[in-house]
Amino acid sequence: MKFINLLKKELSELITVQMLLGLVVTLGIFMALGSVMDTTIDEAVEKTSNYTIRLIDRDDTEFTHDMIKSIEKDGNKVRIFTDSGDDYADILNSNDIDDIVIIPEGFTDNINSSKKPELITAAKMTSAATISNINAGSATAVELIQKYISSKLAETGGLSEKQYELVKEPLTLKENTVVADNSAEIASSSIMSRIAIQNMMLPIIVFVLIILTSQMLMSAVANEKTDKTLETLLSAPVSRGAVIGAKMLAAAVIALINAAVYMVGFKVCMGDATSKISSTAGELISGQVSVDEAMRQLGMSLGGMDYFLVGLQLFFTIMICLSVSLVLGALVSDAKNTQSMIMPIMLLAMIPYIISVMTDINALPTVIRYIVYAIPFTHTFTAIPNLMFGRTGLFFAGLIYQIIVFIICIFFALRLFMSDKLFTISLSFGQKSKYKAKKRRKSAEK
Amino acid sequence: MADVLEVKGLSKQYSKVLAADNISFSVGEGEIFALLGPNGAGKTTTIRMISTLLTPTAGDAIVAGHSIIKEPAKVRENITYLPDEAGAYKNMTGIRYLRFMAGLFTTDLDQLNACVERAKKICGLGDRLEDKIGSYSRGMIRKLLLARAVMTKPKLAILDEPTSGLDVLNAIEIRKMIKQLAAEEKMSFLLSSHNMLEIEFISDRVGIVSGGHLLVMGSAAELKERYSAANLEEVFERVVNENEIH
Repeated sequence: MKFINLLKKELSELITVQMLLGLVVTLGIFMALGSVMDTTIDEAVEKTSNYTIRLIDRDDTEFTHDMIKSIEKDGNKVRIFTDSGDDYADILNSNDIDDIVIIPEGFTDNINSSKKPELITAAKMTSAATISNINAGSATAVELIQKYISSKLAETGGLSEKQYELVKEPLTLKENTVVADNSAEIASSSIMSRIAIQNMMLPIIVFVLIILTSQMLMSAVANEKTDKTLETLLSAPVSRGAVIGAKMLAAAVIALINAAVYMVGFKVCMGDATSKISSTAGELISGQVSVDEAMRQLGMSLGGMDYFLVGLQLFFTIMICLSVSLVLGALVSDAKNTQSMIMPIMLLAMIPYIISVMTDINALPTVIRYIVYAIPFTHTFTAIPNLMFGRTGLFFAGLIYQIIVFIICIFFALRLFMSDKLFTISLSFGQKSKYKAKKRRKSAEK
Repeated sequence: MADVLEVKGLSKQYSKVLAADNISFSVGEGEIFALLGPNGAGKTTTIRMISTLLTPTAGDAIVAGHSIIKEPAKVRENITYLPDEAGAYKNMTGIRYLRFMAGLFTTDLDQLNACVERAKKICGLGDRLEDKIGSYSRGMIRKLLLARAVMTKPKLAILDEPTSGLDVLNAIEIRKMIKQLAAEEKMSFLLSSHNMLEIEFISDRVGIVSGGHLLVMGSAAELKERYSAANLEEVFERVVNENEIH
């Protein structure tokens, strides 16, 4: 009985309005994310089922004509394009298509002389999301061409050992990936595996950094306020601007040290594995260039300026966190409320964080994408993919948006700190205690 | 005796509450002036306005010749403020805290060291100053904060409930210290307290505040005589009740 009494007391301490509100909002976020993912997956499914096979027939023989006819007979939509050189980026961009399969010259001759023929594919990569890089047309074409060659060889009968090997594995695939105006001889899956490893860790670092920075400054301000050390400090011959500036700078320095430690740790932890895994994967699949070289050719490797820009965006993210935390910290009525006050920042960081772990924010349906873009932290999560895929306009739009949000937030933070409200205003999640007081009053009246 | 503080019709209106209404008084050099009043009377609001933490809705206060409205930075150079139930940075050692606070008042190393030495003597915490403040008792923290408040020899020290949390002996010690600083170093004090005996013992003049108004002002002896009261507690009771009746 005593234990139940204690348990009841502990539960009533833990179950608070802010906790319940947090649960409801979190549930809402996950439901919204589920709907976002459904829409994205539906789009991907539609793209996969309504594909068109796009071909360039450079060999132009009776065998390839028959092969294409057989693909069409299977009920596939086939579009034949005229040859326009070896610049695969130009072929895809000028025809405004995402992928193409090229049957090279000598394709039929190679089959006839029992040599493994080459088949060239080129596919556009527009984002880091797997579902936005599905090229069902190319994949189906390769599969059908392989089947056609195998069946044609099998029909001839009396296969030599070489021909038998050809039936089993009839093609050498030369995959090309196109990013913006650049192309490289590598399977997009190899690039994707490299980006996937990066995408696994970087959002975590950004998320932790946002929460850590906010928590630090908010606690610092809240503790000063509740301990009344802030009153002592602000009655000393020192300007309020200096007090705020010192607090923000200290929190920013600690946050940046944290970021550096995380980044170094991430590099040490993942660096070797990343290059080994993805380079090996790249070589196995394409047999042509390493992932690093391919990413360089595709313009996806980040240079010094890119890292500077990413750092700049991270800086403004931290500054937004700090200015919002200043306001929220000043609103805290007691130390216990600090945990609840961080909730708005946590939720705003959680939405782009979860989406960026699951998919590429830029690959979301338009309306949802713009809603997510409205969250200033989103642009930190999309900074690296934007620079990798040459979407510099989007990157700078995000950066400018963050600067504007920061100016607005710091304006309100400074106004609050310079005014009397710093000592007179406080937000308390004390609905429960108010309710209890009301209840007490009622029972006293009775 | 020149006035170190001259409060001229200070008022503070919050959204719906008039926390301080046209409050005027003065504190001379080396004088100890105490504001007495029930909770919510407007004492802390008045003190916070004089400390430049809050901006008055009307009126002004002149501290050592500087207006709290026009020259708040100059005012802060001449005052120290000790809030009621104030804490200190728990992760700092006592000595580090004193050095930090002294560093806000002066950048001259000799002056800073002199301030800290003075505080060390006043607080009497000895070797415990090397320990983190988190390990201090409430009384020890209060002594440290009081020492901090007077170490810079401000023209006006504003102390809200200066002996709250202190045991009897420590409280007596602090009161003696305040009287001594006022008498020997001509430091002026503006106090706020609920402890009537303390105020009667320590202050040169008293102002009784209620409902945002400064109701009466005078020395403890004058007020006792005016209200035919045995002690300041009775004066306080009569003044506050009178105010409620009217």
